[in-house]
Amino acid sequence: MPSKVERWKDETYGMEIREHLLRFAEEGWDAIPEDEHDAWFERFKWWGLYHQRKGQESYFMMRIGTPMGRMTPEQLRTVGEVARDYATGPVENPEFGDAYADFTTRQSIQLHWIKVEDIPDIWDELESVGLSTIQACGDSWRNIVGSPVAGRDADELVDVWPIVQELHEKFKGNDLYANLPRKWKVAMTGDRRGSGQGDINDLAFEPAIKEIDGEEVEGFNVNVGGGLSRKEPRFARDIDVFCRPENAADVAAGMSSLFRDYGDRDDRFNARIKFLIDEWGPEKMRSVLQEEYMDYELPTAGQGLRDEYDYNAGRTDAHGDYIGVHDQSDGQNFVGLSVLVGRMSADDVIELADRAEAYGSEMIGLTQRQNLIVGDIADEDLDDFLDEDLLAEHSPDPHPFMRGSIACTGTEYCSLSIVETKNRMVRYGRWLRDNVDLPEGVNDFHIHLSGCTASCAQPQIADISLRGMKTRKDGDAVEAFDVGLGGGLGENPTFADWVKMRVPADEVPGYIANLLEAFEAERESPEQSFRDFVAERDEDELADLAESEETSYEDPYLGNTKLTWYPYAEDTDMDASPAPTDPNDQPLPSDD
Amino acid sequence: MADRVLKVNAFTTFDLLDARIEGHGFEEEAFATLNVRTARKNPEEVSLDLELDNTQLDSVPAHADRVSLSAAEARTLAAELQQAAERVDEAEDA
Repeated sequence: MPSKVERWKDETYGMEIREHLLRFAEEGWDAIPEDEHDAWFERFKWWGLYHQRKGQESYFMMRIGTPMGRMTPEQLRTVGEVARDYATGPVENPEFGDAYADFTTRQSIQLHWIKVEDIPDIWDELESVGLSTIQACGDSWRNIVGSPVAGRDADELVDVWPIVQELHEKFKGNDLYANLPRKWKVAMTGDRRGSGQGDINDLAFEPAIKEIDGEEVEGFNVNVGGGLSRKEPRFARDIDVFCRPENAADVAAGMSSLFRDYGDRDDRFNARIKFLIDEWGPEKMRSVLQEEYMDYELPTAGQGLRDEYDYNAGRTDAHGDYIGVHDQSDGQNFVGLSVLVGRMSADDVIELADRAEAYGSEMIGLTQRQNLIVGDIADEDLDDFLDEDLLAEHSPDPHPFMRGSIACTGTEYCSLSIVETKNRMVRYGRWLRDNVDLPEGVNDFHIHLSGCTASCAQPQIADISLRGMKTRKDGDAVEAFDVGLGGGLGENPTFADWVKMRVPADEVPGYIANLLEAFEAERESPEQSFRDFVAERDEDELADLAESEETSYEDPYLGNTKLTWYPYAEDTDMDASPAPTDPNDQPLPSDD
Repeated sequence: MADRVLKVNAFTTFDLLDARIEGHGFEEEAFATLNVRTARKNPEEVSLDLELDNTQLDSVPAHADRVSLSAAEARTLAAELQQAAERVDEAEDA
């Protein structure tokens, strides 16, 4: 018996949802029947729209999928203009103002406070420059992730951009793959950095070299079944398949068809392909793919480049991100800019697009570390570009605490989160920068802050993993974090060890300060990475390394922000919410 | 330490409760999460999941406990909880 979500999907799903959305936009919020809200909100996800949380009725988050986070300056400017004109709500955010765009860990863009009435105009603007919200959410091919600088990166084996464009064209809006048992996340990596983070995706193409008929062929090894959610995170497993670049679409079609046909549609908790490969093992996965879905003989895996990977790898000899100035293969440069917690004001987005275009850039990239890259800066222009005012805020050389911070959406908008995230991470970053000396040799330090166990900030693959919880302090329930240590990708991907539970949010900066002090005092040498330091210690030793404590850090969101209608409103009480509202943020008349 | 067994998000019934385990020769206190759950597909039973924070416990390994209740049993439990809650309220009012 299919699940409730499967029944809704049978009734209306995929492309046709667009017509319904246009109708609701014309008729207004009230036209969505109240007793059908759950069904419609589930369907809207297919077109990139999530209804915001309790207290924010009638407002949507809109997700724009940009394959590999890659855009033109013109597209970026359009995102900024849409954010400026439509992503404003009844209350400003105290850190970010009244209009901003969020760059996500899957290289997409999220805008908040979107009204259903505005959706046709927004789609017109986005689609006029080739952007789309299609399949940005829902049970289908999600945004394909990978290196945004593919084809420009001097440090790559295969230029995957043409392949990713082919996959995007083939699988988005394709009825054959529109209704999968669950989300389907694909990563394609052609560089030597491992920047696709394929290990945590359902289907990963990893760069590899294979000798076939005496010829050395550059292509990909195929891994299947990675994912972070719930208590069972998995790294994608090697199914012993090598794939030539020209066969990538066939292999991707085969794997997603296999998932469509064999994935568990009865139990959404068991639906991701990581559970199917748990059940089958890699050998059966390979043989079913070969026998039922492929019309050519799949070669066995080639020689991968994993030992070179440094992206989010926690190494001391290389930065684990794209921040800073890097060589392009054409002699120009790409410049990675730090965007703290991935959020940039609409005005800055527009300004950055203008500056990029003025320097002749044809490529903007969003990274999985929530940062932004401007490509195609000529050597002779580099100094001027680096002197641009905007780069004081979004720096190519940020402090490591600012550089390494990632945060999910949190209770500001998300229905799942139990703690405030982005503004808190900003405050943590600033306090740590101003109060904590990093041990010598530590240039990167990754802190990933997630609001619940859904893992949207990828908490398990950071030096310090923070995951939202509650605790009691001085008799009151306060927001808190479970703390994990020592996760990361690279040659030997590792999930964090969870070492503390329910650390009060206002004591986390003190904990991190004490932890780093212990690291500096106890590490073998300044060359030892934090990850290696953690890996050497057992659970009890890790738990005893440092204690949390109050410091000069002040946390304005310590109370239960989940129970507010908006954590930064003057009156945060749920009853003070103006929602649902009309397109001008004015309360709609109640039926009562 | 092991990761949490139960997922915890805004739909979790309780993310912060005081709990206690007691056995022969041991007794410990810990924070706990408690969740009422039904399957998304035609649910046939109600499950009541309880997990104590394993960092606070030495006597037992990290785990969660689950009780399965029929709809009738869930109603019986709800009714008893309701009655018990009223007794507590009355005592407080007295």
